[in-house]
Amino acid sequence: MSNTNTKPNASAVGLDVGTSRIVTAQRLDKTTQYQAQLNAFVTLPFSKLTQGVLKKERIPHLVQGTEITVYGDESERFANLFHRETRRPMLRGVLNPEESNSLKLVREIVVLLLTAESPGQGQKLCFSVPAAPLGATQEVNAHEAELKRMLDDLGYESSSIAEGLAVVYGEMENSNYTGIGVSCGGGLCNVCLAYLSVPVFSFSIGKAGDFIDSSVANLRGEPATRIRTIKEESFHLNGHFANKIHQALNTYYEDMLQALVSAIRDAFAGAQNMPKLTRPIPLVLSGGSVLAAGFRDRFEKILRETELPVAISEVRLGASPQHSTARGALVAALSEM
Amino acid sequence: MLEWRAAWTSDPVKRLQFLQRARASPISAPRSLSLGAITVGLAFLVLAFLGLAWASAALVQPTWKRAASPQPRFTALPRSSQKPEAAPGRVWLVEANDRFELYSNGLRVETQFVTSTQPRAYLSLSREGMDTHPARLRFDPVGIVFHTTESHIAPFEEEQNGTLRRAGEGLLEFVRRNHSYHFVIDRFGRVFRVVREDDYANHAGHSVWADQNWVYLNLNQSFFGVAFEATSRPEDGPPVNPAQVHAGRILVEMLRARYKIPAANCVAHAQVSINPSNRRAGYHTDWAADLPFHDLGLSDNYQRPLPSVTLFGFTADELRSADALRPALEAADDLVRREAAARGMPLERYREVLQRRYKDAIASVGKQTNVKYQY
Repeated sequence: MSNTNTKPNASAVGLDVGTSRIVTAQRLDKTTQYQAQLNAFVTLPFSKLTQGVLKKERIPHLVQGTEITVYGDESERFANLFHRETRRPMLRGVLNPEESNSLKLVREIVVLLLTAESPGQGQKLCFSVPAAPLGATQEVNAHEAELKRMLDDLGYESSSIAEGLAVVYGEMENSNYTGIGVSCGGGLCNVCLAYLSVPVFSFSIGKAGDFIDSSVANLRGEPATRIRTIKEESFHLNGHFANKIHQALNTYYEDMLQALVSAIRDAFAGAQNMPKLTRPIPLVLSGGSVLAAGFRDRFEKILRETELPVAISEVRLGASPQHSTARGALVAALSEM
Repeated sequence: MLEWRAAWTSDPVKRLQFLQRARASPISAPRSLSLGAITVGLAFLVLAFLGLAWASAALVQPTWKRAASPQPRFTALPRSSQKPEAAPGRVWLVEANDRFELYSNGLRVETQFVTSTQPRAYLSLSREGMDTHPARLRFDPVGIVFHTTESHIAPFEEEQNGTLRRAGEGLLEFVRRNHSYHFVIDRFGRVFRVVREDDYANHAGHSVWADQNWVYLNLNQSFFGVAFEATSRPEDGPPVNPAQVHAGRILVEMLRARYKIPAANCVAHAQVSINPSNRRAGYHTDWAADLPFHDLGLSDNYQRPLPSVTLFGFTADELRSADALRPALEAADDLVRREAAARGMPLERYREVLQRRYKDAIASVGKQTNVKYQY
């Protein structure tokens, strides 16, 4: 479920702050409800007419000087309407340093999703953060600190969880939170190996959905938004290509998968204090980029061809891949209560 | 036991809480060996003994028996006998802005001249058998080719500051325009990134290298190109100054740490360059000598037999005058001679076979990927 107007009054909140989407999970009457908004915006030149239309239609927007910023899901509609590209408050998993209002826009989208009538008021909230890519620990730490400050200001008692670990918490209760959680989002692929809920290693790689879109867009001279649409609507990762865009998509998906599996292999090789895993462990794939038809099969094939020090019992998609991280963050928030 | 107890609750939150509480208390590991463990240990010892016995038998197999094995299929290729070297320690990005990147080992990479080509993508061929084993589509850099820019070199003197700077900037513009290298190290030891690390650069042209497992053809896609602003002319004196060597060392350290590049794949342009039309190695001869491998934190790769000679039958007459390469060339020739003798072929005939292998390999690489090689 997503984008409903009636917002649950829940005891705790799971928040997936992704590069392309922000997702919340809240438990209400023993069911978990999810809401999502695009983590995107578009700026339009200010005019009273435009502002009036936005107000009348209740389109989330900000007026800043000579510009109007439309954010969330509506940004895509307005970008198409005004023939513009949407922009992102986040880039490669963290706040976009090239957008001066990045934190403010993330805040607006979070508020749009979370606070119907009342702000946090000390509610537990657990939000996802990416694991550090190689050589960028400080960048991730700064991102985490800024989000925490923003959420605390909103009145929540916030804590963070690595995105890959959130996938483990969201999808692997049946294996007692032992296994590998993989989240392939827009900006990053996050991975975490956990043993009985304890993270053994976490990392991210910078090749994910946006990398595929922009690489294919560059190669074929098409806008990235068009590539994204083609990817989501008609692409199958099965080695058969309807056209050159599909062929290029296949190439870059392959690149991403190879990089991901290689990184998992390297993480195992470099892991210290590896627990003795007495039985095969599951691996769960989640995130928007795993939704391409054939993704799971191709990933599993590459993984099975790779020598790992542990046996993998199964490779499966999350029950609801786009909600796995938020669900895991919610489980973590509830466990702190 | 812990898992069994955790499974008692179906509520995911309670199960997580239980595991997290249990984590706080120490979990004792069994200290005594069970009968099962002893059985497994004994089985392992028996298997290890059998494995050793089999390996010993293979090693002491009489030569007549080996010679009787089926004849040459040219699948397994001769491997370099040198051991892989330890990877450098971790190097991480400390600071990045629109002008430079600073790394934890002191490396500062200037980024004002950065340009793009296309993301790297290439096929590497299996050493186990180029025609029998599948090639591997790859996107990661696996090595470094060192170049000299062979550009105008002004005297390295204080009075020449203006000329040195102008020459350096002109060179960088040229390199940028032609996408010639990934990195340029100027006379002052400054490191400039020119072509993005994820993209190919036009630095190696027709070229061949091989490591323990893979053979790489035309290295623009698979290897980084690192150029020192320098010439190879002996009359110009030592090709590089201490500032450039230091910069080269920390750049190599960063690239090797970041991309897990083996030291054996860090080589001079002269070692990899070939001329396919006359089947000769050493078409370009930059760094045919004097590349300070040790000062760059690498072993002396001049000692490695040239794969173009041993795998593809190229000759290397152009490189004979370089003292540094002479032992490797003699070793490579010797290897080819012995392989020819083992197959009962005259040397020239065997070279022709190897050269045909190059032709097939380059054709198959071109056929199997949509990558446009720069040749």
